Parts: sequence; C-alpha cells; structure tokens
Amino acid sequence: MPGPADESPTLKLGREPLDTDPIASDSARMELTRRDLLDLAIRAAALPGAAQFLQAWLSAAPRQQHGTIVQAPPEPPFLRDYQPRFFDAEDFEALSAFTEILIPTDDSPGAREAHCAHYIDFVLQAAAEHAPEMQKQWHAAMATLRAAGFHKADPKGRAALVEAMANPERNRTATHPAYSAYRLIKQQNTFAFYTSRAGMIETLDYRGNTYNLTFPACDHPEHQVV
Amino acid sequence: MRQTYDAIIVGSGACGGWAAMELTKAGFKVLMLEAGSRVEPARDFHHTFLYQMEYRGQGKPGLLRRYSGSERNYRIMIDNEENPYTTSPETVYRWGRSRCLGGRTLHWARATDRMADYEFKAASRDGYGMDWAVTYADMKPYYDRVESFIGVSGAVEGLPQFPDGPFLPPMPLNCAEAIFTAACKSLGWRSTHRRLSQLTRAHNGRPPCHYCGNCVNGCDVGAMFNPIAVTLPPALATGSLEIRTDSVVARVRMSSENRAQGVTYIERYTTKSVDVDAKYVVLAASTLENTRLLLLSARGGLANSSGTLGHYMMDQVGGGGVSGILPKLRGGPSRLDDGKAGGITIPNFQNIDKGTERKDFIRGYVMNATGGQTEYPQFAERLPGYGSEWKKEVKSRYVAQARVWNAGAEMLARKENFVELDPEVKDRWGIPVLKIHFAHSDNDHKLIEDFQQRAEELFRKAGGEVMPTARVAPAGFPGGPGSPDAGPTRGRSNEPASGAAAARQRRPLGGSIHEVGTARMSVSPKDGVLNSFCQTHDIPNLYVFGGNAFPSTGDKHPTLTMMALTARGCDHLLEIAKGKTV
Repeated sequence: MPGPADESPTLKLGREPLDTDPIASDSARMELTRRDLLDLAIRAAALPGAAQFLQAWLSAAPRQQHGTIVQAPPEPPFLRDYQPRFFDAEDFEALSAFTEILIPTDDSPGAREAHCAHYIDFVLQAAAEHAPEMQKQWHAAMATLRAAGFHKADPKGRAALVEAMANPERNRTATHPAYSAYRLIKQQNTFAFYTSRAGMIETLDYRGNTYNLTFPACDHPEHQVV
Repeated sequence: MRQTYDAIIVGSGACGGWAAMELTKAGFKVLMLEAGSRVEPARDFHHTFLYQMEYRGQGKPGLLRRYSGSERNYRIMIDNEENPYTTSPETVYRWGRSRCLGGRTLHWARATDRMADYEFKAASRDGYGMDWAVTYADMKPYYDRVESFIGVSGAVEGLPQFPDGPFLPPMPLNCAEAIFTAACKSLGWRSTHRRLSQLTRAHNGRPPCHYCGNCVNGCDVGAMFNPIAVTLPPALATGSLEIRTDSVVARVRMSSENRAQGVTYIERYTTKSVDVDAKYVVLAASTLENTRLLLLSARGGLANSSGTLGHYMMDQVGGGGVSGILPKLRGGPSRLDDGKAGGITIPNFQNIDKGTERKDFIRGYVMNATGGQTEYPQFAERLPGYGSEWKKEVKSRYVAQARVWNAGAEMLARKENFVELDPEVKDRWGIPVLKIHFAHSDNDHKLIEDFQQRAEELFRKAGGEVMPTARVAPAGFPGGPGSPDAGPTRGRSNEPASGAAAARQRRPLGGSIHEVGTARMSVSPKDGVLNSFCQTHDIPNLYVFGGNAFPSTGDKHPTLTMMALTARGCDHLLEIAKGKTV
C-alpha cells in the first residue's frame, strides 16, 4: 500500500538574487548554477519517471537565469512574410488601417507590430473548408465599411468614422450602420493582438506558462485588509 | 483457450487507475481496457504560447467543433462525432468527456475535497432523498489513503463540513486571493486555500509544481494527479498489468451462474470484436459510460433488479458568478498570478446543521475566488473604446482581474432525471448511445440565486467593480460558433445577473462536469444498484467505480470521493477473493 507522505528526496535548488534584471519576477530572481543543475540531475535521476521533468527543467534553466520575460520564446516568423490571401488589396489596406486605429503603436507595440491584419487574413483564408460562414460574415463587414466610406477616406476621415461607428458601445441609445462591423473587427483584432507576443509579452508582460521554482505569495499588508 | 485474467478494468481514469494499482499490488493479473488512445506527455503536453500556434489555440476554423477542447488539449478530450449522445427536448446538458489513457484527470481542475457527514446524511437531516450507505467514519481511512498517495496541498482548518487530510503545504495566495480572504473575514465567512492534488513539494517520486498554470492542457512533469503519472506507473511496475488502448468495450458478458464472465470490446481501428474473460469485472469508464455499459449488457439493464439503473442522474449545478476588477490592484506590476491555477475556497456554511438551516432551499454550495493576470484578457473585447487610452485601460485592469465562481452547488436527486439507450443513434462502432433526460428543480434554481447574491456580496466587500462576462464572438473565433469552446449542446451560462434578475429570467442551468448517480448505492437491493462497496447487489463479481454510486451530489468536487470509494471497493473485492465473507 502507499507509504507515508513525502518519502522521496526533495528537489532544492540554490538561488541568488539577480540584481541585473529589474524586470525579473520574484519567482525568477534566482540563478541555477552548474553545480545546482548537476545536483538536480543526480537527484532527479533517482526519481522514477522523472526523465521528462529533468529534460524540461534543464532546457528552461538557462532562460530562467535571465528573468521570466526571457522565457517567452520568440514569435514564429510566418506572419512577417505573410501575403494576404483572403482580402483583396483594398480591403486589406483598409483593415490594416482600421486595426491600427483600434490598437495604435505608442509607447508599446500596436496592431502593426503584432501583424493583426495579417493574422485575421490568415485565419479567414483557412476558414473556407470548415467555417465558410466566417468568410461571408467578414465579406459583409468589409462591404459595410466600404459603404460607410472608410476605404476612400483620408486618415482624419477614417479616425472620425471609427469614432462614429464605436459610439453605440458607450451610448446605448445611439446606432450606427457599421457598428456590428466595428465590433467584429474589434473582437478579432483584440484577440489577434493580445495573443501575439507583442501584445501578450511586450505589452501586458504576461508571466505564466513558464518554469518557476516558487509561486510569488502576496506580501502586501494593504491586501490583507478590506 | 482464452486467457482468463483475475480482473478486467474498463477505463483508465482516476478510478480505473487506482483500482489497477490496488489490485496488481495485491497480486492480481489485470487487464485494463481503454477506449481512447495512449497519451505521451513528451509528445502531447508542452508549454506552448498562443502566438507559437498558427491558430492561437483555436485550431483551423471550424475543425475543432467536433472536440470539446482547444488546439492545445483536444487530444485528451473526446471526438464528439465518433461518440455522440442525444438529449430529450427539455434537456440542457453538456456531457464533458475524455477518451484517452488517464481520462479526464489529465486536464481536471484538481480540486480534492472530502465530503462530510452533513452530505452523507443529508436525507436524515432535511428529509429529502436517500442517505448514503456509508458515513464519514467509513470513508475517512480511504480518504487518508488516497490523499497520502496522490499528494494534496491544502491547509488544515478544523471545519466539520470541510474535513481535513494529510496535506502538503498549501499553495501561496496571490494578491487578489489575499484581498478576497480579507473580505471573507470581514463577512464572517471561513475561507481557505483551494485543496488541490497539485504538489507543493516532491512527493512519492514526483516533482513539485513549477507554477506554469498549464494544468488543463496536461501536466508535463506529473506534478498534478493523473493516472499516467501517479497510479499506472506503480501498477505497471508490478508486471501484472496489461493495458490495451483503443479498445471500445461494448458489453459485459454473463455466465450461466449469474456471474460476469468478461467483456466484449471492439478494436477501435479494425472494428474487430474481441472477448476477454476474468474472475472480476470492474467498470470504471466514467459515471455515464458505466451505466451505458450496464444498459447495453442485458435487456432492461444488467444488475437492475431495483429498477433504478439509469435514474437519479445528477450534476452539480453550474452557472452564476461574478467577474470584474479589484481596484486595489489596478495599474500594478505584472505577477505570476495564474501560475498555480488555484484560488481560495469558501466552504458551504448554510444548511450544514440546524443552526444554519435556510427556509427557502435545502443543501448548499461552495464558492471559489481568484484574480490577477491571465494568459488572455477576456474582458478587453468588451471594454468600450479603442486607441491608446483603451490600451492603457486594458493593461491597468489586466493585473486587477477578479472573479468569484460557483465551485459546486448540490443538485437534488430526482428519478425523472435519467439516461437510457437511444433507440436509433449509434456511435462509430455501432453501439447504441445514451439519451439524457435532465432538468433542474426549483430548489436548484434557488440555490444558484442565493449563490449569485453571496458572490456579489463578497465581490463588493472586496471592493470589486463588476463587469459583465457575456461575450458573443464572431463565428469561428473564441467563444463564437465553430470555435472549440462552442460545444455541441447548449452549455452553462456564465452571465452574471443580480439575484432578482436571475430569478426573473430563470435561465437554463448548466452542469459542472461532475455527473453522478444513475446506479446509486443503497443498503437494500430494492433501493439501488450498488452496495456501499460499489459491488452490484445482483452480481457478486461486478463492481462499478465512478460517480454512479452517489445518492446525492453533495457540494464537493466528486473525484476524491470516487477514488476513496474505489479504494474501499478494492479492499472489499480482495477480501472476497481471499474467500472471506464481507
């Protein structure tokens, strides 16, 4: 029968603060030395079924030394060289401009750096086989944008159009014929941006999906009372 | 001549894995049959960022409609086209399933809570339904055994309605959880760390959690409980366990002496029918699949002298909840908030004894709360506006996200909620599928309305600002038609509403993927299918492990209790096998 709890060796790693990396999370302010890794390897080898764990730790450890943010791998290059296949040139230009108005480049990356329009095109061209209704929905949305004059408007005119289209979001009594097109583009642009590396890591500084030695407990006195 | 095993175990999930370990360690030669595929953690479980995937976790548009999961975890879910089920017109129910080695515990929420006597003996207290055929005293040694082996992190609280176990250190609280804990204290509610079968230190040869937050996509190191990391390796190490995956069991075969002789299974890819024999047959294929097999194995159902087989289907009531932000955290730095995928638990504090009795409903619910940064800011699509100010607002709220959810609300057992074999629809292997008849009672609705009020009360006390969570996404994109999370049947509603609004609207309630019942345990064979050891009353060498035995749902997550019942049932089976009368 199962033995008493925790008879197995505990994996403990030496740690030193990393003073050189101000953005490293508390959980990543630690350094794995070569000796630590060797020690870990010896201990882990004694644990049944620990080979995969060891492999994962060893591959993550060098990245972890430089802080959590470095653990997030680079974005695959395929969107960088992507050529639109779903939208025609005019629609793609209009969509690109629209996405950049919604999520502009400022002190952090925007839809342009995240290649949001490219990503939307990529998803839509792939919808032909199993989700053709998506393609219809987007063709209709772009037709609505065109009818609203977005394609031919100058940057100032485009900004004014987006402002008018977005109005019903805050003002429930307002309506706009292109509001649903605005919502469709906003929803997918938001998804495209915050699932990109530019949005998730460089803008929001997401810390999860990484290998960590500890979980950062709340140590703020102001959070212990309401 | 066919080989005869000591035991055949149908299913490899939490219960099947535990039974395999217990029986092989006792010297049994065991054959395990799993309808799904073998899962390889090195191949199937990764730390993958969404942007590394072409479709950002959604899969090619429309392609994953047939699965319940996402691009990351559909391999450990189920192919709904191969494995359909049907529902009656009044039914709103989504049956969450997995078909793979290890079952649903490969992607489960890991909540590992003991049930208490106020649940086991609820009928004696409030007069509704039937007491369990076991008490907490019967179950405690088995809870201890299971928890000691799998490793459960948690804090000892000394609450009678939330019994303690031999816990590993609890997961630390993040900032949002600390604030919710303070809010609970202010309200006079007890709260604690969620009890999770997720290791906070190395345990029984397994490494501790590395706080990646990827649990629902399969743990790459076995730091959370699942059979492929925890119970099957020691079972295989005995040399007495044979596992056949891609083996779809079609029925239990009986001998002329009223004993289960073995099972017939169909090879998933060749469709060849194979008979295998054993001294004992253990069904551990998940609650409703177990019942489906009993229904398939004899006219009117096997082991159904009570006439209760298929009836009293339950699932803890889902729905409700509050989400928004905690202003105290607004604009703060990013932290690893979702790395443990945990939260706090507020154990049920109503209808647990005479002093806490409610006049308007019986039974109770458990609340959970957490917050902080998440992989994707779901709220951003619904946040009005755009441009740089909107971006700043998203970032400011991102670290302050918070939510209170219903962790388990008891659904009353009613005979009119039942499963049967659909007379027309068959699965890919020609096996009749289940038809589910499932509706909620007035008490179920009242429970959720009360939960909603309490959740909003907690959120307000924490200083939270509520934000609607309803999202209507475009087709093929997250949450929209054709996306993986748009299931084949109508599912739970996560839309928050005030208690009064919820009462007016009476939306269909959802489930919690905690389906139980349909072969309940009983002291008398007249009242149920199983005895307190999960042995069928009618057939001495046929055991059914899973949620089938539950006469009521209770308000705890059911997996630990299912496993403890399995451990208890295995002890019984082994005593019987030794020739001892139990």
